[in-house]
Amino acid sequence: MALRVPLTHVRGKTLLGSPAVRKASQHQVLRISAADEAQVQKVKELEDLEHLQLDFWRGPGQPGSPIDVRVPFPSIQAVKAFLEAHGLGYTIMIEDVQSLLDEEQEQMFAFQARSRSTDTFNYATYHTLEEIYGFMDLLVAEHPQLVSKLQIGNTYEGRPIYVLKFSTGGNNRPAIWIDTGIHSREWVTQASGVWFAKKITQDYGQDLTLTAILDSMDIFLEIVTNPDGFAFTHSKNRMWRKTRSLTPGSSCVGVDPNRNWDAGFGMPGASSNPCTDTYRGKFANSEVEVKSIVDFVKSHGNIKAFVSIHSYSQLLLYPYGYKAEPAPNRDELDQLAKSAVTALASLYGTKFKYGSIIKTIYQASGSTIDWTYSQGIKYSFTFELRDTGRYGFLLPASQIVPTAQETWLALRTIMEYTLNHPY
Amino acid sequence: MQRREAGSRTGLGARRRVAAGKSCSLGEGVSIAPLVPCQRSRGWTSPAPRRGGAAASRHRAGKLGPGRSGSGAGRRGPGAGSSAGRARPGRTRAPGSGPPRGRRGVARRGLISSSAGAAHLEPVRRTPRPPASMPPRLQPPPASGTGRPRAAVLPLALLLSLALQGVAAAPAGAGEPEDSLRRQDPELPRGLLEQAARAALHFVNFRAGSPSTLRVLADVLEGRARVNPKKECQVDLVFTTDRYNPEEGEERLGKCSARVFFRNQKPRPAINVTCTRLIEKNKRQQEDYLLYKHMKQLKTPLDVVSIPDSHGHIDPSLRPIWDLAFLGGSYVMWEKTTQFLHYYMAQLSSVNQWKTNDDAIDFDYTVLLHEFSTQEIKNKALVPLKFPSFCPLILTVHS
Repeated sequence: MALRVPLTHVRGKTLLGSPAVRKASQHQVLRISAADEAQVQKVKELEDLEHLQLDFWRGPGQPGSPIDVRVPFPSIQAVKAFLEAHGLGYTIMIEDVQSLLDEEQEQMFAFQARSRSTDTFNYATYHTLEEIYGFMDLLVAEHPQLVSKLQIGNTYEGRPIYVLKFSTGGNNRPAIWIDTGIHSREWVTQASGVWFAKKITQDYGQDLTLTAILDSMDIFLEIVTNPDGFAFTHSKNRMWRKTRSLTPGSSCVGVDPNRNWDAGFGMPGASSNPCTDTYRGKFANSEVEVKSIVDFVKSHGNIKAFVSIHSYSQLLLYPYGYKAEPAPNRDELDQLAKSAVTALASLYGTKFKYGSIIKTIYQASGSTIDWTYSQGIKYSFTFELRDTGRYGFLLPASQIVPTAQETWLALRTIMEYTLNHPY
Repeated sequence: MQRREAGSRTGLGARRRVAAGKSCSLGEGVSIAPLVPCQRSRGWTSPAPRRGGAAASRHRAGKLGPGRSGSGAGRRGPGAGSSAGRARPGRTRAPGSGPPRGRRGVARRGLISSSAGAAHLEPVRRTPRPPASMPPRLQPPPASGTGRPRAAVLPLALLLSLALQGVAAAPAGAGEPEDSLRRQDPELPRGLLEQAARAALHFVNFRAGSPSTLRVLADVLEGRARVNPKKECQVDLVFTTDRYNPEEGEERLGKCSARVFFRNQKPRPAINVTCTRLIEKNKRQQEDYLLYKHMKQLKTPLDVVSIPDSHGHIDPSLRPIWDLAFLGGSYVMWEKTTQFLHYYMAQLSSVNQWKTNDDAIDFDYTVLLHEFSTQEIKNKALVPLKFPSFCPLILTVHS
């Protein structure tokens, strides 16, 4: 079987496992120049000689355009003799294909942080956008019955925005939404999101609570909610928070995606100055990253709990942020928050405070859960994960897994409650 | 170490030396000059606010200058910590008289004196509210009897033990106690008690001048806040602290009481604070010395881009730099804190270590401060921090 492995393809691919690569030692790649139609015909004759096992990387076409062919060792003599006999010029492009392939394989696997499965993926370190997107594909491939990947839009800079859907069937089941990384510098949140994704696949069928949840509900998980910002924190500015959209009339970049929602937009609690970190944007939902979620939530129509995850400060917050008036089911939210932080603390003793946004931290307008709550999603929460300021955004990677583990307990509490209180 | 007066406080190259008097050079071998408080006043009191002096208000008598604690009109009883003076007959007012002698862990009820002898401090309310609805969380303790201590001088009280009598501690629950307090006065900023605690701690940290006894806030136990018509805000509170750099398995809870006075929207809150000692003085000096030695061994120039790195990692060899930066940064953070704005140190974005002629370590660095509630990351250059002087030398310069 001719193995067509053009170099360019090998470079970019995310393989799920190692493909069978035939040993290519001492194969050569020749570039043949066919000057006229007659010569092109001759090369086509070569193509027909199957016993030669030629692998045309670039087949015969117009006269003048190069023809590239990989020639296995046993056939090299014969092919060269044929070409010379018919006056066909050729050059040796690649002397020994195998070593090149080896190098490529190595590079590619290195490039993937060497995870060929989600079991070898390193959850205790911070990853790049490419690595996280690669992880998602791995997870979907490993659990096709449970996990699928949806694209809900593209970022300002054109990156795809992905959401993982965990579902055991049904049709538009009541659902729980979790997002991480809406503020790109809050790295422990994206890292926790990756861990949650894996955890769900591990626990389904093992953990009674999660199994019960997934048997009746779906879970949507958006791990990198602000991909442009996240890429920017890796490439240029680790402390970047906002999106990367350009604001006409300003040299400053970016909108705070947690001030851009249509809830109290324009009221105190956000900035109208494009150069600040809490800039709300020119209008609500101006940011495609936000609009994509808005559209998704509206068209889904059956989301029952919405959790948006940030860091740091160790808080669990519920609406409202833009006004002091208590939410209609404030007592219920308060009770649920209390249970959730109690569950969280049970693992490592990490203490969280809880309350409404406006009373616990400060007035904030245009925030995510104020909008989702206004859409009737009664159980809308925002987390602020570890820590309380010692490391802040630069939380040591060693704390990723403990943070994710304890936060998961709180999430599970909220999800279970939602399951048991349908509305 | 001579005392050099500052030029403009915020001008380029301006230096502020808080040290005074005594030589702070390293002794021979391991013995180190004893820690001395570097200002004449005992306890820790912030310098008088530069702008406009302390405003008089009907809630305070007299200025809140150095070494003075405000006391309310008609109220007997000291500000936070000042009553500890009563328990220290040995104190004199002479400067440089050396470290406090004889730690008598006295002043039990005096120490946490935000409520000692003080009338029940009520938040100022525009509309009167029946007190019955609020369970009194601070019982005025039995009258101390000796009346108001001299307001001026507070001892540098580092007590070993502390017993609170007659003072109810509010449960440090999931953020609820302050909640109920604030519910009754919507004008007070959210998290005001924590705000005050943080400001007090920045102050404590840089005044102590030791990278080995840096503290962070653990819990606010109790507190009271009052706002005057000028929207200036006085907070009396008691809180617990953790060591910034806890050792493995160690849990050291310190306790502080403080009076913090925020001027309306203006930074540099005036602070009166007293804390229990976190570690033995000798141990602290040893640890400081180890840190100093460690830093001396670092190669100059330092090849460091940022501390921590993007992954939150600080190389153990560079940890002392971070601690010293936190010490210096504490000054800046105190300087910038208002009742609405507070800071955490996010990262050191540049560090330059200079060779020195004497034994001191000299380096300058730029800290990134994360500002709440604006979320801005502010860039502050600090030039330079000399160590060890044991007299806090915080040199704050340009932004």
